[in-house]
Amino acid sequence: MLKKSAANIAGLALALFFLFPTYWMITTALKPRGSTITSDYDLIPFSVTFTNFVTAWTKPGFLSSLGNSLIVTLTAVVAAIVIGITAAVAMSRFAFRGRKSFVLLMLVAQMAPFEALLIPMFLMMRDLQLYEHLSSLILVYFAVTLPFCAWTLRGFVNGIPVELEEAAMVDGCGRWKAFQKVTLPLLGPGLVATSVFAFITAWNEFLFAKVLIRSQDKETLPVWLSGFETAFGTDWGGAMAASVLFTVPALVFFLIVQRKMVAGVTAGAVKG
Amino acid sequence: MTAVKTTETAAPVGNIPPALPPAVTGGARKRRRRGGAFDRALPYLLLAPALIAILWLIGWPVVSVFVTSFQQLNLGELVRGEVVWTGFENYVTVLKDERFWEVSLRTVVFTVSVVVASVGMGLGIALLMRVLTPWVRIALQIAMLCAWAMPILASTTVYQWMFDQNYGILNKTLVQLGFDSFAGYSWFSSGTSTLSVVGLLIIWQAIPFLAFSLYAGLVGIPRDLYEAAGIDGATGWQTFRAVTWPEIRSLLMMVTFLSTLWDFKVFAQIWVFRGGGPNGESTTLPVLQYLEGIAKSHFGVAAAISVLMMVILGLITFQYLRKLLQTEEGKL
Repeated sequence: MLKKSAANIAGLALALFFLFPTYWMITTALKPRGSTITSDYDLIPFSVTFTNFVTAWTKPGFLSSLGNSLIVTLTAVVAAIVIGITAAVAMSRFAFRGRKSFVLLMLVAQMAPFEALLIPMFLMMRDLQLYEHLSSLILVYFAVTLPFCAWTLRGFVNGIPVELEEAAMVDGCGRWKAFQKVTLPLLGPGLVATSVFAFITAWNEFLFAKVLIRSQDKETLPVWLSGFETAFGTDWGGAMAASVLFTVPALVFFLIVQRKMVAGVTAGAVKG
Repeated sequence: MTAVKTTETAAPVGNIPPALPPAVTGGARKRRRRGGAFDRALPYLLLAPALIAILWLIGWPVVSVFVTSFQQLNLGELVRGEVVWTGFENYVTVLKDERFWEVSLRTVVFTVSVVVASVGMGLGIALLMRVLTPWVRIALQIAMLCAWAMPILASTTVYQWMFDQNYGILNKTLVQLGFDSFAGYSWFSSGTSTLSVVGLLIIWQAIPFLAFSLYAGLVGIPRDLYEAAGIDGATGWQTFRAVTWPEIRSLLMMVTFLSTLWDFKVFAQIWVFRGGGPNGESTTLPVLQYLEGIAKSHFGVAAAISVLMMVILGLITFQYLRKLLQTEEGKL
């Protein structure tokens, strides 16, 4: 019994350790200006204000970088999902020459060390005249997430019994209609989980966003936030409010797929 | 026509025998007669977009990084469009540079420390979660989910604020506890100290994934094994050695490989804290690659660094994939 309560105390202490930065981010964001930078000991806030959020929201660059992040991330993920699903169906539902090699290629490709491909990617985007264009980032994020999407979706398609499609075809559906009416709806949860993983990967990406985009009006949210000192100076309340706004979409998506999180990440190479 | 194809795929996908040349087997010949050219081409057509994208956006850069590493390619050559082959000169430059070895050593020490700490604590927390009262376990899981979900740049900003020299909550807390020397203490005045803070940040965000995966592995261990060990009078440690360890060893190996790959490549956190400083003391290989290649426009030299990084990462990845392909999940 004593052992159990010791374990519980350790568990609660660890919970505090993991929760504290989130707590500190939110409470700092809610503090009135003036009471963030203070030498008073202020672990527990006494007054609450939302002005920091207004400040962050109206900072030059916040909205445009939020927009850029959304454009880049969503376009890349949608493309990766659409092309990934066709590849997944091919790998899972057809027997053909070279199938195993394709599957292996997908697996190897999703482990590709993109960080070490920074120089050739930079040179390639420059040659393609895409340097300084959001489309260069879209291409990179598409390439990063595609093999993962194809590989993961293949697993989900494998999990749907092919007999269901066969039954539909016996009933007179064509192959496309059988896929559309039977497999696609069943694939829903898998599609959600896969796109969330892909979304988080692209949403977090910093290195390529920094290297391929230099002009301020085209930078993404991570790059904008990394230079928060230019925007906020020592206004930590504003910086924390911006961080909260940046975290919310990722957190919401995490909660949607939290059960699938572990299986998905061990199967893939998405950095959690 | 379609029936033939689908009955084939009805077998578990992993068990499909390698396709034989159509001329060899009678069945295949029959299939060819029944299925049209379109049907046979269909899987390739479905795969084509993904294949083209991968060859173009991953395959080509891999080739290109090797090619570039044998060229002298600075801003001048790039602007003029010149190709200057220099053989192994970039590698000689890199390998003769003392700084490269210093940075490599630092990267290895950093990666190993972060991996050992995060995997060790991840395993500890996973084991702990099994004995916790349910509500405590759920509280811990929610707290870990919050840490895990925070975007890297958000958590980096929060850590900068917590470790702020003058108004950071850490220094203020330490002063409250009576350590007056921490008033105005700078955590970023040396490379070791900077990398320790970065390491703490990375460990903090890496543990949730590790703990959740290892916990999932632990929950899967049959209960009767523990009951049997209990009947045999095994101590806690003996039970761990004889029952738990063999069951999770391969999972532990996999997450260790993954962590090593991820932690070796870390760029954002190190860069944002101090740009690899002070005096380059917190520069790791990915930061060095960025500084040489992008900041100084020495693309050839940077490509040589990238190739050396890829060799290390490739060896780890190879081991990881070998392990993965032995498991159920990695079935082709």
